[in-house]
Amino acid sequence: MTAATNLLAFFALAAALLLVWRRSWPGRLRVFVVQSALLAILAMTVGALAGRPILVVVGVVFLALKAWIIPRALQRMAAGTPVRPGAPGQSSGLALLAAGTLIVAAYAVMLPVTASATLPTAGAIPLAFAMALIGLFVCVTGRDVLGHVLGFLVFENGIFGLAVLATYGLPGLVEAGVFLDVLVIVLLMEGVVMEIRREHDSLAVDRLGELRE
Amino acid sequence: MSLLVLLLAPLVAAALLTRMAGALRHLVHVAALAVLLGAGAVLALKVASGGTVTALDGLLRADALSAWMAGLIALVAALAGIEAAASGAEAPGRFFPLFHLFIFTMLLAVTTDDLGLMWVAIEGTTLASVFLVNHHRTRASLEAAYKYLLICSVGIALAFIGTVLVYFADLQQFGAEAHALRWTTLLRWAPQLPPRVVELAFVFLLVGYGTKAGLAPMHTWLPDAHSEAPAPVSALMSGVLLSVGVYAVLRFKPVVDLAAGPGFSRRLLVTLGVASMTVAAAFLWTPTHVKRMLAYSSVEHLGLVALGLGFGGVWGTAGAVLHVANHAVAKATLFLLSGRIRDAYGSADIALVRGLVAAMPVTGRGFAVVLLALLGLPPFGLFISEVMILGAGFQEGWWGATGLALILLVVAFGGMLRALHRMAHDAAPATRREDVSWQAAVPVVIALGLLLVTGLAWPPGLAAALARISAVVGG
Repeated sequence: MTAATNLLAFFALAAALLLVWRRSWPGRLRVFVVQSALLAILAMTVGALAGRPILVVVGVVFLALKAWIIPRALQRMAAGTPVRPGAPGQSSGLALLAAGTLIVAAYAVMLPVTASATLPTAGAIPLAFAMALIGLFVCVTGRDVLGHVLGFLVFENGIFGLAVLATYGLPGLVEAGVFLDVLVIVLLMEGVVMEIRREHDSLAVDRLGELRE
Repeated sequence: MSLLVLLLAPLVAAALLTRMAGALRHLVHVAALAVLLGAGAVLALKVASGGTVTALDGLLRADALSAWMAGLIALVAALAGIEAAASGAEAPGRFFPLFHLFIFTMLLAVTTDDLGLMWVAIEGTTLASVFLVNHHRTRASLEAAYKYLLICSVGIALAFIGTVLVYFADLQQFGAEAHALRWTTLLRWAPQLPPRVVELAFVFLLVGYGTKAGLAPMHTWLPDAHSEAPAPVSALMSGVLLSVGVYAVLRFKPVVDLAAGPGFSRRLLVTLGVASMTVAAAFLWTPTHVKRMLAYSSVEHLGLVALGLGFGGVWGTAGAVLHVANHAVAKATLFLLSGRIRDAYGSADIALVRGLVAAMPVTGRGFAVVLLALLGLPPFGLFISEVMILGAGFQEGWWGATGLALILLVVAFGGMLRALHRMAHDAAPATRREDVSWQAAVPVVIALGLLLVTGLAWPPGLAAALARISAVVGG
């Protein structure tokens, strides 16, 4: 189990780094789908090996939600925006460096958790937390609304990975509520994003200046 | 039973109101508010007369703290709901269903024993209120709604990390157990939990739920959302939604205190409290917009609540809990009145609102008096709770933080008093903008009555209730 979970979490983290590096929107969306699928497999693997059938179900729902329904909503949101919203010549070097630092920070922050964990999945916990931090980083530094939403979803993915690895999934009622919340957030985002586009004819954040004091 | 009625009233109303219009909608709306208020009162009396109320196999559970919060939510919901029905401005579409759904999510958050479900409900408060914030459908309200949704979702996700870590600590120590995420279970096990993990979890929980509570530096969404939302929604958001965030922190505080000693949570709460009061005072010195002023004042008062909880002791915790109630009543009323001011003047810019007392005799005078109560003048309740909190600060030896808080209170006081003076008395306009009627005075009279009760004459049972809540939260 340790080898499988470590490998899957590592690949999912690599996907997060790839997402920081990629600039084109369709590319980033594909990376997100791959990452979500990897995490779904992670949940199913842990569920199967630890004898938690509920976690397998959670993995299937996660796959449907994050690798199919939500990407379709994201595609609707992005329809008509330029493929490469970033300025030409912009490099991802600094962003990648920051993401690398976040991985180190994730190991440092999660030290008390890994120290007290007796689970076979414990080694991968910092990887999932690093994924969450990188998602938060993408969200905060996003220059357009799509970047914010995608970053937030990667952040959510990381937290899902953390929950699977550290607790073998939360109680069913809570998992169901979390899935519902994520879905509603994305649908609300879609509504708000459509309206922003109608109002501003753009999704760039610097156009949103109505409320500065 | 009262617990289920309390939760079902707004939920059923939300479902019914999606398909209704006209007089029938009015009737269902008001009936739901009446049931809500009644169930809240029954619950409060039941809990006050002893013990806790549970339902659904312990999934729902109301102790003294829950009943206090549920009663407050019902009260502010009734005030805001009546104003919404009376003003008629919020007539079309989704307003009423979402309004009741919003109330339901807040009530669920404070009455469930399951900390995972509490998280889901608090996230639900954001989701239910996003479209309410964007109700006026202007560029500014759209942007406020976007910021609100994004920042609060990120914040609440951080709180989820904290919840996962607490659950992890539970499982590591005690193995698989059916109700490991129940607060009652957690509290029983807390002394044996690994302290470092619980401390780490509490940092995430405080930052996460602190975002919902509007504590600086996570408060950036608050002034926008609270000032752009329609007045009844602002009243609910500022009056009780922020306190629901505090409530969530309060549920985890005794767990951390038992696992790692009380010093850790106290230091964090005092730091966030001072930061919030500083940020708020900096803005409140020269406010420009009535609703933004009220919103920043909420940051200030929630900072004061955090300070009270951080100072701890008998006075600190009880003072903070009482302050939550006092602030809810005063701030909700002020937001409702600010909605009338915005409707009458076509703007809520302090520079444009002139001659308020002459132009709007009821609303203007009410606004002035309740604002003075909010600023902490005796004989109103906020004076008492502020004295309790600051007294606790000196008593527990937090001299620096208490002194600083006192200075910041004075700064905010000066700025808001100046704004009030300008609005109330500068250059009386020729036109009267409000018909004088007794209905318009109802929320003001209720608010002032309640604030006088908490300020001058505590009814029998209030001191006992505060003592029981302090026992739940722990010193």
